[in-house]
Amino acid sequence: MTPVTPLRPPAVRAVDAAPRRKPRYWLSRFAPMAPALLLLLIFFAGPMLWSLYTAFTNLALTGSSTVDFVGFDNFTRLAQDPSFLHSLVLTLVFVVGSAVIGQNTLGLLIALLLHGRSRIARSVVTSLVIAAWAVPETVAGFCWYAFLYRTGTLNSLLAHFGIAQNWLYTTPMLAVILANVWRGTAFSMLVYSAALSDVPPELTEAAAVDGASGWQRLRRITLPLIRRAIVSNLMLITLQTLAAFGLIYVMTGGGPGTASQTTPLYMYQQSFKFYQLGYGTAMALVLLVVGALFSAVYLRLIRLED
Amino acid sequence: MRRTFIIAALTAITLTGTVACSSDDGGSSAKTITVAYQKFGAFIQLDAQMQKVKTEYEAAHPGYTVKLLPIEAAENDYYTKLSLMNRSANTAPDVMYEDTFLVNTDIQAGFLAPIDDYLAKWPDWSQFSPTAKTAAKALDGKTYGVPMGTDTRALWYNKELFAKAGLSVPWQPKTWDDILAAARTIKAKLPGVTPLNVYSGKGAGEGATMQGLEMLLYGTNNTLYDDAAKKWVTTSPGFVDSLSFIKTVFGEKLGPDQQDALNPNFGTSVSNELLPGGKLAINLDGSWLSGTWLATGAKPWPQWSTVLGQTPMPTQHGQAPGSTSMSGGWVLSVGSHAKDKQAAFDYVSLALNKENSQAYDIAASQIAERADVAADPAYLSSNPTLKFFTDLVQVTHFRPAYADYPHISDAIQVAMEAVMTGQMSPEQAAAAFSDQVKAAVGADKVTSGS
Amino acid sequence: MNDLTAARRGTSRAITYLVLAVIAVAFVLPFAWLVLASVQPGASLSAKPEWTFSAANFRAVLNPDTIYRPMLNSVIISGGTALLTVLVAVLAAYPLSRYQSRFGRSFLYIILFATGLPITAVMVPVYAMYSRINLIDSIPGTIAFMSASSLPFAAWMMKNFMDGVPISLEEAAWTDGAGWFQSLHRIVLPLMIPGLTVVFIFTFVLQWGNFFVPFILLLSPEKQPASVTIYTFFSQYGQVAYGQLAAFSILYTAPVVVFYSALSRVLGGAFSLTGAVKG
Repeated sequence: MTPVTPLRPPAVRAVDAAPRRKPRYWLSRFAPMAPALLLLLIFFAGPMLWSLYTAFTNLALTGSSTVDFVGFDNFTRLAQDPSFLHSLVLTLVFVVGSAVIGQNTLGLLIALLLHGRSRIARSVVTSLVIAAWAVPETVAGFCWYAFLYRTGTLNSLLAHFGIAQNWLYTTPMLAVILANVWRGTAFSMLVYSAALSDVPPELTEAAAVDGASGWQRLRRITLPLIRRAIVSNLMLITLQTLAAFGLIYVMTGGGPGTASQTTPLYMYQQSFKFYQLGYGTAMALVLLVVGALFSAVYLRLIRLED
Repeated sequence: MRRTFIIAALTAITLTGTVACSSDDGGSSAKTITVAYQKFGAFIQLDAQMQKVKTEYEAAHPGYTVKLLPIEAAENDYYTKLSLMNRSANTAPDVMYEDTFLVNTDIQAGFLAPIDDYLAKWPDWSQFSPTAKTAAKALDGKTYGVPMGTDTRALWYNKELFAKAGLSVPWQPKTWDDILAAARTIKAKLPGVTPLNVYSGKGAGEGATMQGLEMLLYGTNNTLYDDAAKKWVTTSPGFVDSLSFIKTVFGEKLGPDQQDALNPNFGTSVSNELLPGGKLAINLDGSWLSGTWLATGAKPWPQWSTVLGQTPMPTQHGQAPGSTSMSGGWVLSVGSHAKDKQAAFDYVSLALNKENSQAYDIAASQIAERADVAADPAYLSSNPTLKFFTDLVQVTHFRPAYADYPHISDAIQVAMEAVMTGQMSPEQAAAAFSDQVKAAVGADKVTSGS
Repeated sequence: MNDLTAARRGTSRAITYLVLAVIAVAFVLPFAWLVLASVQPGASLSAKPEWTFSAANFRAVLNPDTIYRPMLNSVIISGGTALLTVLVAVLAAYPLSRYQSRFGRSFLYIILFATGLPITAVMVPVYAMYSRINLIDSIPGTIAFMSASSLPFAAWMMKNFMDGVPISLEEAAWTDGAGWFQSLHRIVLPLMIPGLTVVFIFTFVLQWGNFFVPFILLLSPEKQPASVTIYTFFSQYGQVAYGQLAAFSILYTAPVVVFYSALSRVLGGAFSLTGAVKG
């Protein structure tokens, strides 16, 4: 038998009480995290800290050979920049519309509807929904662009009702929200499928026997049981949607005008079209703070229930 | 415990190994010239050209290697990538393909090397027209690049549609009113045909600024930038009149439908569908347009040269010099971090000698900047419209090539959009334009023209 | 169950299937253009079927430069990233799952928050850093960065999957004197195969479409993946070759979808996010 270095058996799940452990103990326990920490430290933390610093400078990609520290100038400029505030509003609309309401609800709906259905129904619907998610962002953008274009698929169908138009021009935010719902619902659907399969069927059946309607069963039994999955899902898709760039960029480019220019798009314009990296990075930081705020709200929701 | 260290060590070694592995294909020795340029979509002519020049160079300079770095990206991403490469000394290319209007920006950032000394010893330099020589001349008076080719813009019109509408051909408008009159006639006589297309709004991007507003503005008595005062001119009468022209075109429905005009891909529709399909009568566009209709283009249309005619864009009231045009253009520059600048310049001079310059200009539908190429019968006969567009170089203007220009261009597009959608009057849009520019570049760099 | 309930059950089932059918159609429609445009030679943005089908677009696209090499690069890059991510995530998830500690919980939340930062914001410092250590234009270097950015989400999912493997199973091994590595390797991992596969697939799919990172970090055109070379179908003055773009897109998307469905079939019904996202 190969000699192994015996480790102290880990404590049963509870926060370790005093006496204080030696540092070597912590080191050996969390050693498996070393590769992850290394990777994150070098390739993630480093650039992030640099970005943090850049937000307080006037760094430009080209056009200047010097970089000056400007303190909070970028942030005060942001606070007075109507385009930025407008983009922030659009971003919130986009996140709430496509993630919190769209993907979340539709994902839950599909998971509920598919629960217990035939194998064929399940595999057809899930395949289609997942295909939409697996399609790369650029391709998805083009599919939707062609779909909503004046002479595109949707309008060839709507022509009979006389309301065919370039939806990307008249309702750009709605268009990108729908596209993002189409694209991201698969994740929520999978999360809720898994969560629903953990709900013991006896509970809902018993309630049905007692005369509870479908809607009551949902509200009183199912939803409370999966609330942790709901909150986790919301947090993850919110973070992902906040930074969404490619889909909107391909579909509308932020237009017409700035009607669909969310903060990531405005940031891209400032950083890479006008070369104002300092200003753009400051925007990214604001976005990060917004994400942290959303997450804090969600986490508080879990804690409230405990 | 041992295992832990083993894992940590393995990870560290892998990472270091990765670093070590990649160090030796950096290849930036003194005898390697790196050349960065754009290769994008149908624009593969430069790539083909560079491969040819690479062979010629390596044959003429034994011991030297050329490393070609084609960057596959759209315009904006190309600039981004190039700037990133230039900011790090060990990835900065020795030779690069630069857009003329970014030259000053890159000079300010310290990316380019002045080449006056090398140009002085290059006999071919005298072949470049005076305008061409200024294409890459910086504010400090030094030259930072050799022009490869340029483009001009004018009015394309459909002779058949004109005949049908009873307008005389060849068409030679002398003022803006002449253009509008023709458009109105076509609108009256030929329903279902868009009379006139002028690129406008944010969707068209720089196309709206250059083919649209600047083609109008530089035909008035005002410009966009006051060289003497070093300020941007914002609310000049010329600017307001240009916006009024846009307003008339869209207000009287002489132009394309707004939804179409604001579509970023409208340009493709114009060249691939509207013009060949006889749905557009007049198009204010560039010299490269015919490239699409060649047999090798995206939409081959053999009859283009008989159906379409070209005429210069007139000045506002026909004042001297009578017509106007705008030119972009690209140059080959030498990087400031190049270890052997003479070798880099040798590459540039080889790539832009008469033979190579001509081959590139013909292949890429570029207007020649060398007098010997411009006079060469092979060049002139390669495309029936070449002589026409080359002659426009006499009256052409270049954009003010300063670092702030992207902001100005963006503000112009916003102003155009406000006017074409009827949201603002030309005066209001000009005032808003002025405010936007002041916010972007500082009020001290702005002046209202007169 | 009386007749009324049965009838209600019947109607509700019919409605359910109707709604599912509507959803299915809604999800399929946007693909219509993609499919139609790829088989029409003069394709534009209109999805009007012109009944002239041809494989010209596919033929134009199927050559080493346009598609074979970029796809191979995509497979290497996405596959390498997914592999490295899974490996590192499994290791990182072990202490987070097995040892309850405030540090572990906050660590996960912090790195998850950090993913809210748009990637466009960090690309410039990453480029600068990479060029300083000579990792520009290196595929392993690109994989390392992409793994680092996939890690938060992967570690989160992995930890939750691992929580589903009862610790009691390991306790026997510990009393026998096994170290964490053995216990992880012999007991936990075999029970986590579905979870490992899910994390692998997710990372692979998400990185397959990543354009910005390889575009910035790779210089040589022969190293670029398909997500970057898709822009070949545009041109300098904004002309788009729609038919070829559609054909390319289908070929580009196919491997991911096929891969996903193959793996889900292999795992049978076990392929779901059960256990992946809890609290």
